[in-house]
Amino acid sequence: MTARDRILSAIRATLGPGKPPAQIAAEAAALLDDPDAARPRLAAPGLPDAFAQKAAALGTSIDRIGSMAEVPRAMARYLDAHGLPPRFAMQPAPELAALDWSGLAPHPGTAPDEPAALGLALHGIAESGSLVIHSGPDNPILMAFLPLHHVVLLREATLLPHLEDYAARLSAEAAPRNAILITGPSGTTDIEGSYVRGAHGPGFLHVILIAEPG
Amino acid sequence: MPGEPKPTVGLFVTCLVDAIRPQIGFATLQLLEEAGCVVEVPQAQTCCGQPALNSGDDRDAAHLARQTIAAFEGYDHVVLPSGSCAATMVHGYPELLASDPDWAARARAMAAKTHEITSFLADVMGYAPAGRRLNASATYHDSCSGLRELGVAAQPRALLSHVEGLEMRGLPGNDVCCGFGGTFCVKYSEISNAIVTEKAEAIEETGAELLLAGDLGCLMNMAGKLNRRGAKTRCFHTVEVLAGRAEGPAIGEDAP
Amino acid sequence: MTAPFKAPFKNRARAALADPVLKIAIDRTTGNAERKRAAALAAFPEFETARARGRAIKDHVIAHLGHYLELFERNATARGAQVHWAADDAEARAIVTRICLAADAKLVTRAKSMLGEEIGLPHALADAGIERVETDLAEHIIQLAGEAPSHIIWPAMHRTREQVAELFKAGHQPPPAAEDPATMVQSARRVLREKFLSADIGISGANFLVADTGATCTVTNEGNAELTTTPPRIHIVTAGIEKLVPSTAHAFALLRLLVRSATGGEMTQYTTFHAGPRRPGDADGPEEMHIVLVDNGRSRMLADEFREMLRCIRCGACMNHCVVYRQIGGHAYGGTYPGPMGAVLTPVLDGLAASRDLPNACTMNGRCAEVCPVGIPLPTLLRAWRRRSWREGLEPGSLRAGIGIWAQVARRPRLYRLATRIGLPLMRLFGKGGWIARLPLAGGWTDHRDLPRPAARSFMDQYRAQQKARK
Repeated sequence: MTARDRILSAIRATLGPGKPPAQIAAEAAALLDDPDAARPRLAAPGLPDAFAQKAAALGTSIDRIGSMAEVPRAMARYLDAHGLPPRFAMQPAPELAALDWSGLAPHPGTAPDEPAALGLALHGIAESGSLVIHSGPDNPILMAFLPLHHVVLLREATLLPHLEDYAARLSAEAAPRNAILITGPSGTTDIEGSYVRGAHGPGFLHVILIAEPG
Repeated sequence: MPGEPKPTVGLFVTCLVDAIRPQIGFATLQLLEEAGCVVEVPQAQTCCGQPALNSGDDRDAAHLARQTIAAFEGYDHVVLPSGSCAATMVHGYPELLASDPDWAARARAMAAKTHEITSFLADVMGYAPAGRRLNASATYHDSCSGLRELGVAAQPRALLSHVEGLEMRGLPGNDVCCGFGGTFCVKYSEISNAIVTEKAEAIEETGAELLLAGDLGCLMNMAGKLNRRGAKTRCFHTVEVLAGRAEGPAIGEDAP
Repeated sequence: MTAPFKAPFKNRARAALADPVLKIAIDRTTGNAERKRAAALAAFPEFETARARGRAIKDHVIAHLGHYLELFERNATARGAQVHWAADDAEARAIVTRICLAADAKLVTRAKSMLGEEIGLPHALADAGIERVETDLAEHIIQLAGEAPSHIIWPAMHRTREQVAELFKAGHQPPPAAEDPATMVQSARRVLREKFLSADIGISGANFLVADTGATCTVTNEGNAELTTTPPRIHIVTAGIEKLVPSTAHAFALLRLLVRSATGGEMTQYTTFHAGPRRPGDADGPEEMHIVLVDNGRSRMLADEFREMLRCIRCGACMNHCVVYRQIGGHAYGGTYPGPMGAVLTPVLDGLAASRDLPNACTMNGRCAEVCPVGIPLPTLLRAWRRRSWREGLEPGSLRAGIGIWAQVARRPRLYRLATRIGLPLMRLFGKGGWIARLPLAGGWTDHRDLPRPAARSFMDQYRAQQKARK
């Protein structure tokens, strides 16, 4: 008997024959009925404000701009404000490559000690101030973890109210290898409970929130 | 309530009150009578069985449960000046006797009418002490079983608020265990000592003259530690103050 | 895992109580955790409903565990992951070691997983000659110290910053320039970065196994899980079979409870779902993903009175609020899991004979159950172990004899009255004033505190006399 058989038969011996899968699925779904009763309310009316408030409370800095075309200027502003060089890693996404980067030097690939990187979020979640990124051909996961400064573009139109709204989309599409919710800069409280940023991931998380649907 | 017959109460004084501080039993009796109950003290009572229950000795605990149920189930209510003994009857007995066909229903029926004294006075009888005065500052420790298993929290405070001259001071960590734990305090005495030391420090820091609580076990633990530390805090069961019996010797101040 | 020889519990506890630095460290971490949790709950009035729902989700999964395990296996396999099953810790260690050796792995990075500790993975890797690098900062600290975790959320909570500085000075090349936490964290960041990028295999645990997507979920605040699982060729997940949830939405419902209860935050900084290895065209990610589903006593718990313990989501709130844990810390418990949840689990994992003290060293104050985000009746489960220990004759003879004699007397009210009539005056002889400072056979009490002198006459005697006088 394999370990699998031993484990499953021990479980079956205790629980007896199972219910039909459709019935189990219905029971599972019913457990999430009336989601508002069991989740926090949004921090502010309107998804952008709610998101911005939550994200800011977690130590994420926010720059709200009107359109995608303003992104290079916003990026330059951020790099300047933090005394960073104009060179930064950029997610190999066509919509980023299409922007006018004159004066700045974006490059693909992330060095182990990359000072800053710019990427796109798939969604933002207003409830928690989280950013969603999915792995894929044009989205290396390490770009979100290696740099000291992680700058993320987020379109207001992609904001979702609650975690469940994102979960519904994740199961509707084929899930990627990695689906990541980023909620604030990397931190640790492992030494005497003192909060220190930048434990392994970025010590700085900056969101450029774009009003235009794009 | 006029016209209605007075409820009968079987008073279980608890083994600690019986042996260490009978005055708590008499104070309870007095308060129950003031609240309009007809009180009896069945002679067949000894201990609720908690030491056996908490040691895993269910057989002896069940014996004592049956003995106690037989002696008390005839009253309208069963009242105890202890949250932990009351919780043993309310939660422990039905669990202990759940698979005993002759006793399961009796255990549940008795559990439904068993009460810790302050919650019985406040919640069931709507009683409030009148004309009581004690010029002192006091702090209150919430004994764990009463607090978490029976919801005793607001009732003792509400009752104490009727005692004129009594200044209540908040106790930081009022809902944190004092380290008594029944047999725990002797089986793991060094851990218990560390816990009660912190509790004593917190009590002393309030500067209150009196420490009040609703369980003699916890009170003996805290009073004994406070005395060993040379603290001047005097310790009473809540009912002693409510019954106007806190003018005399406190716990450990040689009672006759 | 089989416990190596350990000093008896009481000796371990005594050593912990005698360590003032440990007490400071415990108070800092648990005190902070308690305050932050309280604040997080105050800001989340829906917590009680969320808690009831979380409990119902776990109960649902437990009631259909076989179904969800197979569903998860099917979906994870469909994503390209290889699913392995381990009935116990030895099987789990063997599977992981075999994968590592087959890949000719020299360096393995590991993101903190209590399950990994439970199955003894650190030692197994060392025995197989594989370099293991712990990447969670706390695990990095205790790896340098050669210790086991003392808390399930803050494994190095027993170490002060000065002690961490000593460890980093000896273990980091070059040593950190200063002893403040920020500088030390930077030093660890630099040292571990090289390891992340050169590891052959990354091993993580899982906070959730999502049945309908086949994904495993890790939550961290540091970002070490993603750096552990992305660069190496192989990602291995070790997870207990109780970690299943029906869907991502169910995972989020539990996550809201987990994070608030653990750290007082609302979300961990990084919540990551891992579904299979790198996809065709993906910019990065491992080529292989292995998931080891570990039973190790869980199907047995399902069948006995400890089933409710399978709800545990490993938040650590019970230990943060435990008066005993807050005095003796985690190592004194002697198992993988400390505190109240550990006192329930350790007898399952290490056997009751080796751990009977743990369920007994508890005051039954119920605060652990009060804060448990999935409503596990921890005192009831601890009492169940006490019952079993009594039944199996594991309790000390002196206690059995004492309880036995006491019960014989207590079951006979007249004899009991007689005993108090004789005993109380006798006990009073040891008193001075109102107190007894030393009493034979009661050293457990009087070594540390005074005992109020008993009454000369019991309540029952006084009451009977009054009744007679009235008549």
